[in-house]
Amino acid sequence: MSKVALKAGARLKSAVSDVQVMAIKIPAGEYEITCGGVPMVGASDEAPAGASMDAGDSGETLMGKRYVDEGETVEFLCTKAGAGSLALDGKPLDVKQAKQLPSSD
Amino acid sequence: MSGAIPHSEISPGAHSVRPLGMTADYARQLLDSLGDAQTPLPEAEFLHPAVTWARSGLMSLTGRSRAEMCPAPIAACADGALLALQSLAPHNPELACLHGSRLLSERAAFMRLSRQGRIAAGGSCRLLDTADGQVAVNLARDEDWAMLPAWLESETLSGEAGEWEALAKVLATRQTQETVERARQLGLPVAASQWPQSGGQWFSITMRGIPRIRRAVPLVLDLSTLWAGPLCGHLLQMLGARVIKVESASRPDAARRGNEDFFDLLNAGKTAVSLDLETETGRAQLLQLIRQADIVIESARPRGLQQMGIVAEDLVRECAGLTWISITGYGRDEDAGLQVAFGDDAGVAAGLSALMLEVTGEAMFVGDAIADPLTGLHAALAAWHSFTHGGGRLISVPLRDVAMHCASFDLPDSRQALKQRHADWTQCIQPDDIQPPVRRVATAQAEPFGADTQNILTEFGLLDA
Repeated sequence: MSKVALKAGARLKSAVSDVQVMAIKIPAGEYEITCGGVPMVGASDEAPAGASMDAGDSGETLMGKRYVDEGETVEFLCTKAGAGSLALDGKPLDVKQAKQLPSSD
Repeated sequence: MSGAIPHSEISPGAHSVRPLGMTADYARQLLDSLGDAQTPLPEAEFLHPAVTWARSGLMSLTGRSRAEMCPAPIAACADGALLALQSLAPHNPELACLHGSRLLSERAAFMRLSRQGRIAAGGSCRLLDTADGQVAVNLARDEDWAMLPAWLESETLSGEAGEWEALAKVLATRQTQETVERARQLGLPVAASQWPQSGGQWFSITMRGIPRIRRAVPLVLDLSTLWAGPLCGHLLQMLGARVIKVESASRPDAARRGNEDFFDLLNAGKTAVSLDLETETGRAQLLQLIRQADIVIESARPRGLQQMGIVAEDLVRECAGLTWISITGYGRDEDAGLQVAFGDDAGVAAGLSALMLEVTGEAMFVGDAIADPLTGLHAALAAWHSFTHGGGRLISVPLRDVAMHCASFDLPDSRQALKQRHADWTQCIQPDDIQPPVRRVATAQAEPFGADTQNILTEFGLLDA
């Protein structure tokens, strides 16, 4: 599966579950974003038939959580929850700490 | 009654509908909506709503070069909410000293804030033009600025904090509805300026449990942060409640980093507990405390607590007599529950800026984070009413709904009549009616973060939970 170039704001969906994400921060370049080990597709694209989740992936992607790589250079927001863990070029993405509230609003 | 205008001397003009006793009318409406129509209102001095507005300190916080009159009786509604609370706790000496309307400008007195037109007094929220209207955008954190490229899918935005001009340029080309919808999905506090809708409720009971009165005065668990929820807990404290302020070890109440004296005012006398909610132990301790409480106040998005295994619906069902006050921006429904709001943008969503635009021709904020103190007052009323009726209720009190309930109260039925009211009300105040924001003095310092954790865990037998 080829890598894709993404812009901030781009939406992706899982090919194997209900998961949907939006790219919040993403440096220029091409990436392979997977959910459950299978490349994600554009939100309005047709998911490829017959794909199935990695048998070893028991993870879940949680609604509203931010997912980042180790250096926090890449960030995705989960806009729809579902089965499968997220990974970028084969490296798992982890949940980012919740934002602190401002001291006054 | 110094300087007050007696009712009979006010001639508000043919278009204004019964401005006299608007405070009492609003109090009565709140009690009616709680199903408590029979409770007598305490004796009180009733002022014209325009005079109440002038005395509230809100004129320092509304307008640009010139102080403006709000044509919605926001200040009178705040007095009405307090009057309704007083009617449920007659002869309470602490409550009797308060003015609901003065609470609205209190934070500004501590922080020395003043009006800035379409920039909110607090500075982080602005009213910006879209292609078809206006939106309030509240960007208080660098993390929020970092979301802008994703929010607007624009390469002219870098995600660096402070780029208001670039943001204004991009927004001017966008449609309001789509812009607000995308912000909602991203958890950005953005609201469309719209006309207030009449007839909505300020609260809803989304779940009923079994009523039971366990204590004469309630044990309150205050999990809330910033202003609205802590004010609610502070008012319940005046009514005799014992309030335990519970903070997450990793996310203390951010107001601790804000104005210290204001934090002390709202939180003095509350017992301070911190729990590590990222651990099973901490969550179990919180659940045990909730099970022993009479009232819970929280201001989290429903999903946040659910993902920690703290499900308000289950707890209200399970714990007889529990009153759960859920303060959100827009309610607890699936979609609305996602949406983040703070006091300034919620006031815009409630219609206050649309009213000001109509009567002054200029976009502007009303007050300082106006939906926060309004919601704190209303939430205290809902909480105390529920407690005294045995609890067993999950009560949703959204910032936008409370502010809209006030913005639409006795709203004239035409734009022409609204303008006439604005002119009449502006005319009927005297220069010496206009007062600056006033601060009360805290009775003590607030407890330091987590200061009482061990004592409370010991008292409630939770050290091994």
